[in-house]
Amino acid sequence: MPLDHRRVRGPEESQPPELWGGTRKDDEEDEDEAPRDPCALRPLFARAGLLSQAEGSAYLELGGGTKVLCAAWGPREAGELGATGGGQLLCEFRRAPFASRGARWRPGTAAEREAEREAAAALREALEPAVRLSRYPRARLAVSALLLQDGGSALAAAISAAALALADAGVEMYDLAVGCALCRSPGPAAPWMLQPAEPEEHRAVAQLTVALLPALNQVSAVLGGGQGSPPDAWAQALRLGIDGCHRLYPVLRQSLLRAARRRDAAA
Amino acid sequence: LSVCCRTVEPLEYYRRFLKENCRPDGRELGEFRATTVNIGKWGSITTADGSALVKLGNTTVICGVKAELAAPAVDSANKGYIVPNVELPSLCSTRFRSGPPGEEAQAASQFIADVIENSQMIAKEDLCIANGKLAWVLYCDIICLDYDGNILDASAFALLAALKNVQLPSVTINEETGLSEVNLKEKNPLIIRKHPVATSFAIFDDTLLIVDPTAEEEDLATGTVTIVTDDEDRLCSVHKPGGSPLTGAKLQDCITRAITRHKEVKKLIDKVIKSIKPK
Repeated sequence: MPLDHRRVRGPEESQPPELWGGTRKDDEEDEDEAPRDPCALRPLFARAGLLSQAEGSAYLELGGGTKVLCAAWGPREAGELGATGGGQLLCEFRRAPFASRGARWRPGTAAEREAEREAAAALREALEPAVRLSRYPRARLAVSALLLQDGGSALAAAISAAALALADAGVEMYDLAVGCALCRSPGPAAPWMLQPAEPEEHRAVAQLTVALLPALNQVSAVLGGGQGSPPDAWAQALRLGIDGCHRLYPVLRQSLLRAARRRDAAA
Repeated sequence: LSVCCRTVEPLEYYRRFLKENCRPDGRELGEFRATTVNIGKWGSITTADGSALVKLGNTTVICGVKAELAAPAVDSANKGYIVPNVELPSLCSTRFRSGPPGEEAQAASQFIADVIENSQMIAKEDLCIANGKLAWVLYCDIICLDYDGNILDASAFALLAALKNVQLPSVTINEETGLSEVNLKEKNPLIIRKHPVATSFAIFDDTLLIVDPTAEEEDLATGTVTIVTDDEDRLCSVHKPGGSPLTGAKLQDCITRAITRHKEVKKLIDKVIKSIKPK
């Protein structure tokens, strides 16, 4: 493994203590598990406009412990033209090393870079339809998301946070992109569940993340995959996700309004 | 007019304030920004073994400590590891690009590693479970969420607060099988021997010292100096990376102020720890 010269070196290999104390924990989880309402949404806390150095920022927290912080910057000069002559949206998605339960996520490894690039591409796919890029020709809009704690549905939370941050930065958008995640547990007739928590995601055989523009009722991104099931099941999952996004939309709008009022009061 | 002056001639703008012995944000030269620290249930990271969020004015730093098990190094068989890592992601400020850690992040990581080493904050021998076979590794990841100057103070403070919050599960080595057994239910707090606190100063025009600089002040300053003191009013380290020279008397003044600051910070940490105790 190549040496990482830029970070303080630790031991070559280390294992989380859960590996040895692991079995007992799993038993406990099975006992506590009770079938939950598949359409239940976790409580969401959203706050926009909290970082001083970024033009727009948003912090999103989901009930089970997913915490995402996102910052956005308005148009800056870019070298080349975007794909269709409009502006470019650059997304970045980082995980904090302490974000996941269990082993520490090692920054600087190839696996980490791959995962981050994938997540950033997914984020971009979800946000691009929402932003009026044609209004910013030859300009670059940057969005950077940081996952502080992963309690399930991380990408969906990041999509919502990123859209909020862009709106907070004053970037012209068609609508806020709201993200919602779903997963299906193993079993023949297992239902699709909205906003899975981390243990559910871990056990899932199929996952789906839906990003919706609620006011326009248009889906901007559908990402996911897993074990096959009849197309109806996937269509039903999509509908469930869209419904979830619609229900989350008012919360995000409220947080934007509050941030705007706070900014007015401070100015 | 003042806004134009600030962008066009920032140094002149600052000098006008310094002449009146105050700063643009209303502080005195020796005054610190409002410090808040968050440990425990609210605002903490439950996936990490210990965490803390520190705000020094606008500068926000979060520290998460994850404890893992590893074999000790061959040349120090009775010592564990503490691996600090300071990250300045692009989201905290426009001056940082995304990608591998830049110069400032690397310098900050090394500074924190030195503070841990020099102050003997945690004895590495305490982290060893079985000589030569098993030891704890404490990965301390410090991430800056909002960069408004004085990152070293905030990082050191966040690290201290997070380490005070760490609970390690008890590990025993089974004599017969030689395997380790981890009891996740039984947790012991980390033994922290010393509490080092860093205080940073910025030097203006080779003579004036201001405490707790913001990002703007750091850019205009001609030098910076960071003093780390520990519990018994002793000096742990002085970090002065170049910059304008400082007389001995001024340095002594910095050290005295750092000692006062240490008491304030220690009181704040103790208060916060006590408030989360009945867990």
